[in-house]
Amino acid sequence: MADSELCIDCGECIRWCRHGAVRAATAKPADLKRFKYTVALPALTLYSQFGKDVEPGQVLRALKSLGFDEVYDLSAMCDMHASATDAYLSECRGPWPKISVTCPAVIHLILLRYPDMIENLLPIEPARELAAKLLRRRLAEERGLDPTDIGLFFITPCSAILHSIHSPVGLESSYLDGAFSIAEFYGPLLRAIKALGPVENPPPISARGLLWAMAGGEIAGLRDANTITVAGARDVLRVFDHIEEGKLQAVDFIEAYICPDGCISGPLTVEGRYAARRTIQRIVRRHGQRVGEGSVIPEEKVRALLREHFFDLEEHLQARPLRPLGRNLREAVERRREVQRLLSRLPGKDCAACGAPTCAALAEDVVRGEASLSDCVFVRIEGLLEAAASTKGPGHE
Amino acid sequence: MKEPLYAESFKIRGGDFEHGGEVATRIKSICKELGIRPDLIRRLSIANFEAEMNVIMYADEADLCFQVSTEDVRVVVADRGQGISDIELAMTPGWSTATAEMRARGFGAGLGLPNIRNSVDEFRVDSRPGAGTTLTYVVRIA
Ligand SMILES: Nc1ncnc2c1ncn2[C@@H]1O[C@H](COP(=O)(O)OP(=O)(O)OP(=O)(O)O)[C@@H](O)[C@H]1O
Ligand SMILES: [Mg+2]
Repeated sequence: MADSELCIDCGECIRWCRHGAVRAATAKPADLKRFKYTVALPALTLYSQFGKDVEPGQVLRALKSLGFDEVYDLSAMCDMHASATDAYLSECRGPWPKISVTCPAVIHLILLRYPDMIENLLPIEPARELAAKLLRRRLAEERGLDPTDIGLFFITPCSAILHSIHSPVGLESSYLDGAFSIAEFYGPLLRAIKALGPVENPPPISARGLLWAMAGGEIAGLRDANTITVAGARDVLRVFDHIEEGKLQAVDFIEAYICPDGCISGPLTVEGRYAARRTIQRIVRRHGQRVGEGSVIPEEKVRALLREHFFDLEEHLQARPLRPLGRNLREAVERRREVQRLLSRLPGKDCAACGAPTCAALAEDVVRGEASLSDCVFVRIEGLLEAAASTKGPGHE
Repeated sequence: MKEPLYAESFKIRGGDFEHGGEVATRIKSICKELGIRPDLIRRLSIANFEAEMNVIMYADEADLCFQVSTEDVRVVVADRGQGISDIELAMTPGWSTATAEMRARGFGAGLGLPNIRNSVDEFRVDSRPGAGTTLTYVVRIA
């Protein structure tokens, strides 16, 4: 069982559990009934799930047919977010590099393991939250609805975003009311897309925004070229170690994802990531005339929103530093020695059968009193063999 | 100095760019386990990284000795190598003998030693040209 204090929502447990024992706690259809007016806001990744010939407009219409009053395309908001990022980077004074806030697992990783890099995080709310904030405001005005009667649901590629809606960081509470996973909607959507056929007047899609579904897409739309994309937990850790060491200060902006290829490779998606990437690229090309023109969003609109601090991160991010091994230096040192001693008795295979990801993690859990050395199968077998040998000794025959 | 509660030594090999920064990263994770304050760890890590890279770039090999007491973290990096003939010059921001190849890797701004001096609470450099250099620096944690 994962230690919830240390979990960053990378979603690997969902990806790997063949028995479906680890599931994301998504919304239930009944949750929609709590609201007078419901809107689905699909992650851009949803457009990548049904093959290269299916238009975002078709996906949106199919999604609406599943029982929402409205659907909302996020590409324009991602586009605006890119403009806000451009504006921020041109005025910001460091520390460098700034790090994208799109992937909540990356934010958690920083709060937990790299607390002194919190100042590197881009202080702008993620696009999905900004969209929900704007949409709720607009619907309340246009339709005379009580804001609390509006239900806004994200269609998510990962458990990290789902969790960020229930326990947000950088926000008092999420502007979204819940999330459904792409995987659970996949079947019904595919049927609806087939049944409904092509769309007559496809809604405008921002190609600059659409690219955000993939690793590399966020920086592709930025004016500043001094940027890096890093994806996959191992690489993210490596690059963050470098940032913490003070390297990479010459880089302005880093786009980072825990998943190996950005959101299209999220644990709650269905389509393979290579096919998904190709599909996004195709759609971008079809809507490509807009990329050349830059943003589909009028610059004055972004500037007005910037002026009212619409994009700003609402709450200060709080570090969740790793617990030290002991209550004071003396105890921590003592326990570290103990960890080293235990490690020499463990097989070093990092098989994870004990429930800890590595032998070192088990040793640490034992020293903290949260696990026992006999949780290790190898130690247990050794113990049994020793017991057997001693009972076979002379006098016991 | 107070008696150290914890001490560990690390080897650094000259020319080993591939593993550059690893010792600094390992010490950083030990410090986190020991519960040292993040801002102090950051300052220490900057110094460790610069010292480690200087050994890799300018010396044959070194032992980095890391000691923690209740009052401070003390690091001694003793290398065997060419040494520094003019320490004051070496400490001047912007002064560097880095090769074109090192500069291509992003080093050679001549800011390493000044960076160490600015990150730690005590710093000294001893060197014997032709024999080697020893850096000693301290970050107070109490
Ligand atoms: N351990 C060492 N042995 C021999 N010479 C050294 C050593 N450390 C530094 N030097 C000399 O001092 C100079 C300045 O070192 P410093 O670390 O300040 O800058 P740099 O290494 O050249 O560039 P940067 O650290 O900014 O990448 C080096 O160019 C080198 O000539
Ligand atoms: Mg240097």
